[in-house]
Amino acid sequence: MNIRSMLAATTAAGLALAGAATAQEYTIGITQNNVGVDSYQTTYEKAFIAAAEANPDVETVVLDAGGDVARQIAQMEDLIQQEVDAIIIWPTNGEAVIPVVRQAFQADIPVIVTNSNIAEQGFDFVASFSGPDNITQGSRSAEIMCDRFKELGIEDEAQIVQISGQPGYTTAIERAQGFEERLPEVCPNVTLMETQPGDWNREKSQQVMEAFLVKYDDIDGVYSGDDNMGVGALNAARAAGRAGDITFVGATNFAVGYEAMAAGDYWGSIYQSPVDDAEAALQTAIDVLNGEEVPFLNYFDTPKITQENMDEFEKPVF
Amino acid sequence: MSEAAQERPARGAGGLTGAKVGTFLAKQGILIAFILFMVGFTLANDRFLDPDNILGVIRSSAILGVMALGVTFVVISGNLDLSVGSLMSFSTIVVLDLHDTLGPALAIPAMFGLTLAIGAVIGFLVGYLRLNSLIVTLGMLSAIHGLTLTWSGGQNMDIADKEGTWFSVFGQGTALGIPVPILMFALLAAVLGIVLAKTPFGRKVYAVGGNGTAATFSGIRRARTVFTCYLISAFCVATAGLIQASRSMGSQNTVGQGMELEVLAAVILGGASLMGGSGTIFKTVIGVLILGFIQNGLLLIGLQFYVQFVVTWIIIILAVWLDIAAKRGRLLSPIA
Repeated sequence: MNIRSMLAATTAAGLALAGAATAQEYTIGITQNNVGVDSYQTTYEKAFIAAAEANPDVETVVLDAGGDVARQIAQMEDLIQQEVDAIIIWPTNGEAVIPVVRQAFQADIPVIVTNSNIAEQGFDFVASFSGPDNITQGSRSAEIMCDRFKELGIEDEAQIVQISGQPGYTTAIERAQGFEERLPEVCPNVTLMETQPGDWNREKSQQVMEAFLVKYDDIDGVYSGDDNMGVGALNAARAAGRAGDITFVGATNFAVGYEAMAAGDYWGSIYQSPVDDAEAALQTAIDVLNGEEVPFLNYFDTPKITQENMDEFEKPVF
Repeated sequence: MSEAAQERPARGAGGLTGAKVGTFLAKQGILIAFILFMVGFTLANDRFLDPDNILGVIRSSAILGVMALGVTFVVISGNLDLSVGSLMSFSTIVVLDLHDTLGPALAIPAMFGLTLAIGAVIGFLVGYLRLNSLIVTLGMLSAIHGLTLTWSGGQNMDIADKEGTWFSVFGQGTALGIPVPILMFALLAAVLGIVLAKTPFGRKVYAVGGNGTAATFSGIRRARTVFTCYLISAFCVATAGLIQASRSMGSQNTVGQGMELEVLAAVILGGASLMGGSGTIFKTVIGVLILGFIQNGLLLIGLQFYVQFVVTWIIIILAVWLDIAAKRGRLLSPIA
């Protein structure tokens, strides 16, 4: 053994010792969808980093795909190359990432999908999905709407419209599905007159609602796929002087929705915290690595919030 | 152009009607298309012509419309502006943020200043450095988006005290029974229409876009003209951002995303040539209204959303075709 290789060996041993001293048990990589594009994702990332820093056993590699499928695939490949212990992915596209998820599976790296699931044909390669249950969210919104109609005594004649999220998005489809299935069960005589997409966009939703207001003289309720769109619809109804007649129910309680609820203009929503979402994803990954029994669909709870119980919830930060 | 149009129907075969009607059609084909759609939508839904609906549509179109006015200048000067959507997000976020820190009276001029500064950068790059406007503004589209995200830290921006501010007047106020956004759109359209059609500067814009080299040899300062066009575009975008911010009193970072193509569609639909040198403010306004009423009309009919994309496209193609057919006085191309 020459001097150079001896040096190398001792250095390596020294590094290994140093590594053991800081006791990093797991390295978990995460590739997110598009941080910075909306407040939810921005808050999610902050909460994820905070949760990881609070846990001395975990080291994280935090990446962001910027909404770009190709970049996300490259990031997944990088994480596989780095031989991280587990990968959390917030899919930019539920179909396109399946091959690279499979690649991770073949490399024996457990993959945890967070927030929105990948398509079903990829389920075999995924250790667990951690996120909100959008179908339940939709049916809970239907219950909030129906309960309110019963309080107002109009559960037998109410007419409502729906403003859904961006067409093609799983979250949008599942929420609408949950709502449309549950509503006739709890309030069979309420009519859903029409559904149009608001594309998760407040301004677009406002335009859609303006058209609804022209088209229908009698609107008793509006269900929106999230509060951002719900507030757009509320703005339109306010401008038409009809906000007082309408029960607004949304999902993913935003700060603006919370404020409108406090002001008495907006009835209810679903409380979905990006902090819970991020912490649940990290915990799911740790549980999987610890070999614990984790349900394949590991939902975190997203409770109902209305004007009546909103004191129990903190105002959302996004 | 009007001479050629008068001759063509006289040539007989394929001519739509007599010479006078032909001339009118040739000039106003897009207007005819617009009226046809309005009649069609009215027959399909009796609420369509409701004054509330008409005002509502024009009010929602005002944001797109104001942006399209500025882009008309840029397009006539022979350039493109793909950054207007991003820039609108920027001005919306900036004015909302400054509203709560500086107060509305300072926030508005500050936002206009910043937006014009970005417009000046684009104008300098395209006008004085003669860089390709497609590349410059495409790059600016993402650069400005990044700037907006940096400014807001990725958060939604909302005015804290929505009741206690006069800021809502630009988006939600009315004067003489007409929503303020419509008045701003109309005023800006009138002023810019006169600037483009009746002033030496307007003629320079056409000259630079029609034949830049000839314009230069005629003593027109090409760079300065192009630069001014981008400033006008930025001014319009800032106005649109102001209306947008005031209308919803809060915003996502992506509020203007994708609008650059809608704006361009409205300008082209109005008959401006992408090659530069032709187009008018009036026709751009018609283009904007066509897009606005299509969107609204399809909603009122209650067509399933997925079909709406396709129908929108068909209507745009029909409008462009009617415009072209009227100009050449026959339905098919003479060399088809």
